[in-house]
Amino acid sequence: MKRRGAEVIHPGEAQLDLYLDGELAAVDARELEAHLAQCAECARFREERLALRAAIKANVPTFEASDTLRQRVRASLRTAASGQTQRRFTFGGWWRPLAMAASLAIVAIGSWNLAIERAAGSALADDLLASHIRSLMPGHLTDVLSSDQHTVKPWFNGRLDYSPPVHDFAGRGYPLLGGRLDYVDERTVAVLAYGRRQHLINVYLWPATRSPSVAPKTRDRQGYHELHWTTADYTYWVVSDLGLAELHDFVQLVQQADTLAR
Amino acid sequence: MDSSALARFEAVVLPHLDAAYTLARYLTRNAHDAEDVVQDACLRALKYFDGFRGEAASARAWLLTIVRNTAHTWRGRQRGDALTTEFDETQHSEAVVDDSPEGLLLKQDAKHTLDRALEQLAPEFREVIVLRELEGLSYKEISEVAGVPVGTVMSRLSRARARLQEALREAEGR
Repeated sequence: MKRRGAEVIHPGEAQLDLYLDGELAAVDARELEAHLAQCAECARFREERLALRAAIKANVPTFEASDTLRQRVRASLRTAASGQTQRRFTFGGWWRPLAMAASLAIVAIGSWNLAIERAAGSALADDLLASHIRSLMPGHLTDVLSSDQHTVKPWFNGRLDYSPPVHDFAGRGYPLLGGRLDYVDERTVAVLAYGRRQHLINVYLWPATRSPSVAPKTRDRQGYHELHWTTADYTYWVVSDLGLAELHDFVQLVQQADTLAR
Repeated sequence: MDSSALARFEAVVLPHLDAAYTLARYLTRNAHDAEDVVQDACLRALKYFDGFRGEAASARAWLLTIVRNTAHTWRGRQRGDALTTEFDETQHSEAVVDDSPEGLLLKQDAKHTLDRALEQLAPEFREVIVLRELEGLSYKEISEVAGVPVGTVMSRLSRARARLQEALREAEGR
């Protein structure tokens, strides 16, 4: 790279690799490029390296973790984590100390009502996220496995004190997978599971106790989206790892079906 | 651990499961052991999660570090697996001799050559290739994952690439 008299000092192979991997500082890279432009030997070395890179790209595959492995990992994590839970909290819901701590902290700043609301809302959102993740484990997604809304809807009769609207959106790419009961916000609620490619969408709904707010509120938590809105009849929560744009499309389908049904 | 912490862990770590499995595949050289290593590594990661202070972006390198160490521990327990390797090689050669069209044969040949060359690399060299070429980690990240200085990453990468190139050249000259 540097000229000392008439003698040309070639960059080392590691130096060239550093350059090809984009790890060389800009100043050094420019100097090296100048050298490559006039040194056939180093230029050939670069071509060989680029050919190797292409050969690796074409022939050495990356692998995908199978669904079985994913489920195995999730199941073992859950078992390990619940073992730790039992040791740490011997009574009450896991969220109680957290919710209390959160509300106390915010109260110190000054707004009592807001604090209660936030802590409760966030505890509910956490609850729903935990439920969503639990539903991803083998055998936990549905109590009634059916893509037929006329099978799923009657299944809830007698199990709940309300009869949730059930719609299948298979025609729009969001097939109904089934339904189940879950326990959130201190009541038993209906959950509808939908699929979208590899993704699962859980829709939680129960009779509204607050005034309607149609525009969905979004909460993102570590790769999962939670969308929440209230109609005149129901409070809706939608939880999924599906992309937000598609999830909004889905929510729109739910809202339209809900409006038409009324 | 409460369930929101588990949810956080899953959300940070599980997106990198493919990367974890790929590294484990190349370090253990078989699907079944790779799955065991990944599961074991995830459990270890959960245990150390409190100590993970990084951003979600560095979660991949963090998980790969644990996978790498788990795989090396696993290797320590599995010495004397030469038999498996020989068996695999026989299988590969037979697949290549098969009456495939010539183009496919050539392609399989390059694949076969690279497979074998990678397999014959010492694990320290194989892992830097996988981390750089397949996972696209920076030298600094590789140095964290492999627990060696960046200078060592540089020299290992260069030497590993030289070996792979040599193997390809030999195969072409055959």
